[in-house]
Amino acid sequence: MRLKVGVATSVGRVRQTNEDAYLVRADQGLFVVCDGMGGAAAGEVASQLAVETIAAQVANGGLIGAEHRGFQPRTAGLGKAIEAANGVIIARARDEQAHAGMGTTVVGMWFGDGLASIAHVGDSRAYLRNESGFEALTTDHSLVEAQVKAGLINREQSLQSEHQNILLRALGRDSEIDVELSETTVAIGDRVLLCTDGLTRTVSDEGLAAALDKFLGDPQGACDHLIEMANNNGGPDNVTAVVVEFQGSRLSKVFQKVLGS
Amino acid sequence: MPKLILKFGDRELSECAVGTNPVTIGRMPDNSLVIDNPAVSGRHARVYREGNHYVLEDLKSTNGTFVNDRPIARHTLLEGDAVLVGKHTLLFTQKDGEQTEVPAERPVVPAIGGTRVLDTNRQKELLATVDQKKPSPVDAVIAKTAIPTAQGRIGTIKVLSGNTGQREYVLAAVTTMIGKADTSQIRLKGWFKPKVAAAIARKGEGFTITPMGGKVSVNGQSITGRSNLASGDLIAVSGVTLEFTLS
Repeated sequence: MRLKVGVATSVGRVRQTNEDAYLVRADQGLFVVCDGMGGAAAGEVASQLAVETIAAQVANGGLIGAEHRGFQPRTAGLGKAIEAANGVIIARARDEQAHAGMGTTVVGMWFGDGLASIAHVGDSRAYLRNESGFEALTTDHSLVEAQVKAGLINREQSLQSEHQNILLRALGRDSEIDVELSETTVAIGDRVLLCTDGLTRTVSDEGLAAALDKFLGDPQGACDHLIEMANNNGGPDNVTAVVVEFQGSRLSKVFQKVLGS
Repeated sequence: MPKLILKFGDRELSECAVGTNPVTIGRMPDNSLVIDNPAVSGRHARVYREGNHYVLEDLKSTNGTFVNDRPIARHTLLEGDAVLVGKHTLLFTQKDGEQTEVPAERPVVPAIGGTRVLDTNRQKELLATVDQKKPSPVDAVIAKTAIPTAQGRIGTIKVLSGNTGQREYVLAAVTTMIGKADTSQIRLKGWFKPKVAAAIARKGEGFTITPMGGKVSVNGQSITGRSNLASGDLIAVSGVTLEFTLS
């Protein structure tokens, strides 16, 4: 399987700085999106530290053979890399007063052997677009999501809630971080979208799915279009989108046809 | 006069008044507030007066100093702040003293870049002290989300025909890969077998199978996308026949 990748980020129409950060390592199948928080440039530091630490953890190979509750080693490894990023952010916040209180969300995908490992903390999301529909691969660690789960409010109310920006988990908060992990198989033609809440609060699920379909075969076009949609809807926040399209190599298709099996 | 109340869990251990002289906190016996615990650095932190505020400063301790569960290097103390040093808590209070020294107000939940992180521990702590019998909706939410999801049922795969090296597999993994690759749990053997033929994934209480490069049929029906598995299903994948059981 070959990966075709698009990425776009924008400060939006209201904010002065872009605290989002992303990592695209197509050769390693590794993709990460982070939404930093904390005033006076600290948010940018936190999100950047997160992507750098995750990249370094994956690159140095120390995650091979990682284990966690029956997940594939790659999934467990992604979780470990995020835990390491959390530690780095906490240490930096402790050492540099200007960065005290900084934090970041994270959503990442590490792909290999047909399996997409997904990990997240906070309200940055991953979606899968395939033949059977448009599926959220993550559930926000936010107060409104918890309220919906508990049956205290419904989905529509959650979209209107004034508490939408209250998170229950973020990197940089607590040295014991609970990274949520999942795995999903992907097939040729599937697309995975990783994005920050600047996108999901301005564009509906239907809008996201339609944009991915309109730009099938052109993930960069899809990302540019998604960012434009967010900004056309007011652009209240930083917005970042990574779209990964899984494509079959011509050769492998021929082999599969010939060999059948 | 403001004071620091040293607590371990719910137990109050001692109190230390904070006046014009700085209060030092640490494991060494020459500190004004000694906490004899390995998690505490020799000279861990100090509290001193600055104008009419009191400032807490971490002295580059090994395990850090936290205020309301956030790591700090330097922090202006507010009424009710909970300072975590190792496993001990120091409560800062100015009550029953001069009430005039309250510094400029800051939001309880700091607004950071528009997004805020709810301090669940702090929230629970506050609720517990205010009223233990009436959990607020927020507390109820936290309790519910903390409950782990029910254990899934056990799926097993029995190899009826073909060689995979093992006769039976318990589907313990979240995703069980079938193929020739080293990463596959159910290893196919043979020159022409696909690296990854199919994946069996746990989904809630049940299991699904997805073809990923091999020809897959369930009970004789060829499948192309993800399909749910039922107990007793016969799976044919890349030359081997497997029986799925859910118990």
